[in-house]
Amino acid sequence: MDIAGVVLLIPLAGILAAVYLVAVMGRRPK
Amino acid sequence: MDAEALVNDYLGRLDAAATSLPPSRRAELAGEVRQHIEMALAEAGARDEVTVRNVLDRLGPPDEIVDAERQVDDPPPGWTLAPVQASAAARSPWGAVEIAAVLLLTVGAVFLPIIGPLLGLVFVWMSTQWTNRQKTIATGIVVLILFLPIILLLGLSAGGAATSGQL
Repeated sequence: MDIAGVVLLIPLAGILAAVYLVAVMGRRPK
Repeated sequence: MDAEALVNDYLGRLDAAATSLPPSRRAELAGEVRQHIEMALAEAGARDEVTVRNVLDRLGPPDEIVDAERQVDDPPPGWTLAPVQASAAARSPWGAVEIAAVLLLTVGAVFLPIIGPLLGLVFVWMSTQWTNRQKTIATGIVVLILFLPIILLLGLSAGGAATSGQL
């Protein structure tokens, strides 16, 4: 893996966490 | 008695206590209390008998809820939000803190690598809409994926230094 590949992983961390948080918010009982 | 029967029994007692309220308000109150119970159970992450009993204890006796309903602005113990506020909050759990958290974790991660997601996590922990378990999982995702490339980068630079040293 080169540096560009490693740098691309950084936004992935936040995006995956955000997707998880949005998903759990969507599953809250109405 | 199972959890659902406990909730139904509580709502039955609430309905019986609320006979003095107008029928429309009575039905609305039952819906709000059920919604409050469901939210508390979802936050607790369990639906066993003990958890349900704790949630119902925190709500207080049905009589007190009905008494408070008559006095509108005087909520009973355990009723953290006024009914109108509670239903509004349930309609849209997205406040400024939650939106800032998600934006910093996504857009912020692109424009402010490392700092963006870390700031986003600060907002996540400031929010009251996610449970501590959900906040911990989100933090774990960021830390795991964020530290993996940092370690790989350090490995690459160490490897590069070793290679240039050999030349």
